[in-house]
Amino acid sequence: MTIFNADSFGESMLRRFAGGTSRRGMLARIGAALVAAPVFPVLPVSRAEAAKPDRSPEAKTVFARNAQTSDDTKCNYWRYCAIDGSLCTCSGGGIHSCPPGAEPSPVSWVGTCVNPDDGKAYLIAYRDCCGKAFVNKCNCDGSDRETQLYTQQLNNDIIWCFGVKNKEYHCSTAVLVGAA
Amino acid sequence: MKSAVHFRNLGTRLPAAIRLACTTMLGATALAAMPAMAGTASVEPEESSVATLAPPKPNWVYLQRGFVLPGTAIYDTADGKYLAQIETPILGDLAIDPAGKYYYVAETAWTRRLHGTRQDYISVYDATTLKLEGDIDIPGRILVGSREHNFILSDDGKTGYIYDFSPISSINVVDLVKRKFVRNVELPGCADLIPNPGVGLAALCSDGSLASINLTGGKTDITRTDPFFSATGDPIFDNVEFDQAKDEVVMVSYTGLVYTAKLGAKPTVSTPFSIQEAAGVRKGDTKPNDVNWYPGGAQPIALHTASGHLFVLMHTGEYWTHKRGASEIWDLDLASHKVVKRLPVEGEPNVINITQEAKPKLIVVGEGEGGSGAGLAGDAEVLDPATGEVKYTFKGAGSGLIQVFH
Repeated sequence: MTIFNADSFGESMLRRFAGGTSRRGMLARIGAALVAAPVFPVLPVSRAEAAKPDRSPEAKTVFARNAQTSDDTKCNYWRYCAIDGSLCTCSGGGIHSCPPGAEPSPVSWVGTCVNPDDGKAYLIAYRDCCGKAFVNKCNCDGSDRETQLYTQQLNNDIIWCFGVKNKEYHCSTAVLVGAA
Repeated sequence: MKSAVHFRNLGTRLPAAIRLACTTMLGATALAAMPAMAGTASVEPEESSVATLAPPKPNWVYLQRGFVLPGTAIYDTADGKYLAQIETPILGDLAIDPAGKYYYVAETAWTRRLHGTRQDYISVYDATTLKLEGDIDIPGRILVGSREHNFILSDDGKTGYIYDFSPISSINVVDLVKRKFVRNVELPGCADLIPNPGVGLAALCSDGSLASINLTGGKTDITRTDPFFSATGDPIFDNVEFDQAKDEVVMVSYTGLVYTAKLGAKPTVSTPFSIQEAAGVRKGDTKPNDVNWYPGGAQPIALHTASGHLFVLMHTGEYWTHKRGASEIWDLDLASHKVVKRLPVEGEPNVINITQEAKPKLIVVGEGEGGSGAGLAGDAEVLDPATGEVKYTFKGAGSGLIQVFH
């Protein structure tokens, strides 16, 4: 397989530019290229070479195959694939907001959950809402790709109330960070 | 209870005549309520007293109630009797003095319940009176619960090790004889403290290795084995088992691979084997849509060290169901790599332990009311590992960790 060489490609391109254009003209072209960039996929060769994740039903976890996107107060809501604890959506908060009087933790454990509507995987930050007693409503325990204490960022048993005034755990949110 | 307090308060204020009238009224009510056969009962005035407890025994089990209810109950598995409660808070960690003199509780509190200054400390309880003897301040500790390896003691019981995650990973070392915090040792990328006699500690690490933590000198020396497991693909359950006589740790991964490691300054890890294959079942896999037997639970394995039998909570399902409770307990003979017995079990227990007697008893507990995540106390069962017979059931006993004395 021929491997794309970004260095030599960039060098020959720049040499062609330098030899055939004025400085001002080159700036204009670069400007046009920058504007047009979002239209084209970035690094097309790298993308073509990357293995496409298998999102077929056969490749999904049992949680992902049964997930839904309409009711975020149920444990099978798609973003809850690795949540553990009470859902803030059941206790006066929302999918990414804490109930009144609680404080969101700035750090969290994370999960990678598949949205059944588009079949794509997204990075979810499970930010605990802290400073109030355990609400004990709508308790869920998703465990997709959930690990143990030596990989803390993927463990959902830890009380993730760090950087807040008080570490008392109240409930958990599932904040969408972006495509995984 | 409230009415008793009310009368006591009245007693301090009212004249003697009214007090006498009140007492007479109370006495009359009590007499009227007495059954006709009560003539043999003592009517001598009594004084309040406080019971004491025997030192810990190998047939005792310690059940934490879980995430919602504080307290660790002590039960005697010989007669099913409830003995006493040790004051562990929610997310507290209990360590039992190997000499049987003390119970140590690692805990966290704030000066004004939900705000104020955070305080982390080890409470020291006398094992026979359960009276608080004192506490030892520490800089911090992880708040997680249901782990056996966040607060452990050295084999001589003189040193306590508390895992801290702030979120910087470290160990707090406490001198339990002088009752004094000694030092903090950074432990990047590792957790699950395991005793490593003569060396200090061992721990599992995120690169799939086992760390040996040498605390014998002034400077901490941490060395790691070559990676032998996938911390994200097929993690080893935190609640590993330690066999002090063999200086060996027994570990099980999500797919059901069984590892043993000989500890020391340079630990050596054995070639793993599949618990499913040891039972004549297809090896566990990480692929979805592949229903098989898998280990699972919060505390899914228990080792009877004298016989070398490992008892594992097993359920049927797909991969990434590692928190699910069990429908069977598998009895694995570590020496022959054979599952010698499969015991069906009710109530989907997710926590298991075994007493270290010559004729041991298994104890299991499942989730309580509200199901997974609610953390309410579930029912515990004491089982005969030879037959699976349920010896005792403790209603609403716990859903947290089960510990034993050995």
